Amino acid sequence: MVYDFEGKTEKDAIEQAVEQLGIEQNKFDVEVLDQQTGFLGMNRKVRVRVHLRGEGAQAPSTARTEDSGSGFARTTTQGSYSNTPENDFEHAVVDYLTTVTDMMGAPCEVQVMYRESSKIGLRLDGSDNGIIIGRKGQTLDALQTLVNIVGGRVGGEGIKIVVDSENYRSRREESLVRMAQQVADEVKESRSSKLLEPMNPFERRLVHTALNDINDIGTKSEGDGQYKQVRIFYRG
Amino acid sequence: MEKELVSYVAKSLVDNPDGVEVNVIEGEKSTIIELRVAEGDVGKVIGKQGRIAKALRTILSAASTKSGKRVVLEILD
Repeated sequence: MVYDFEGKTEKDAIEQAVEQLGIEQNKFDVEVLDQQTGFLGMNRKVRVRVHLRGEGAQAPSTARTEDSGSGFARTTTQGSYSNTPENDFEHAVVDYLTTVTDMMGAPCEVQVMYRESSKIGLRLDGSDNGIIIGRKGQTLDALQTLVNIVGGRVGGEGIKIVVDSENYRSRREESLVRMAQQVADEVKESRSSKLLEPMNPFERRLVHTALNDINDIGTKSEGDGQYKQVRIFYRG
Repeated sequence: MEKELVSYVAKSLVDNPDGVEVNVIEGEKSTIIELRVAEGDVGKVIGKQGRIAKALRTILSAASTKSGKRVVLEILD
């Protein structure tokens, strides 16, 4: 099993791999794919490829606290993991999404993607995934809002339900972080601030944390309501 | 079609499913769907800052992308 990661340094990229896959560093081999040294050490980028060891390489642990993982979705069909509902709560939410997507005219198969102590991930898959995801994931968010309310009513109180299709969320997270880092580089160079597009709280948090430990760069949210905009500014 | 969707989702959100009433007004280019719920349940289908109403509308417009007809959801109280 092979995964690619990117970071500012080799160490950084490896740390990302450890975090995203939820396994220790001595459990995989690292191969450096690509090293870019930008002007005056800026824009440095290292790409590494991670090889999981052992036959069939054990699936990355699902005991992670962040749900920003791209490693996740690819591992769900392995081993004894069951992606069919296991209890009343899971049956109820899976049935709910099956019925709603069917009524929407975009019927989906609903599978359990992962389970955590207070979180469950559901994957929707059908012939109209584009409709299910919607513009900027709007429809996916709407379905998630509704199923969380319904989940709370059928005994899933305190359990957060994450709804995804075609790994949209993990792909979006990756591209958001990449975009944020790019804009941060531009801000560093021009020393003038930049305003990003409106994003929901979760996405904003991703941007804030992604840029948290970059020197000379600060972030803050501007605007009102659910969808605020993140401003990236230079603080030299 | 959309009527069943609104009715099903609304019933899943309220305390009193029997109080859910859906009325469809078909126009040439758009459809208006009127949703009426029991008195104490209005907040349940609107949500904080209209979050639930917005989710309902988003799902409705996704459902109507194929037909190309615009769907308007009105929540009556």
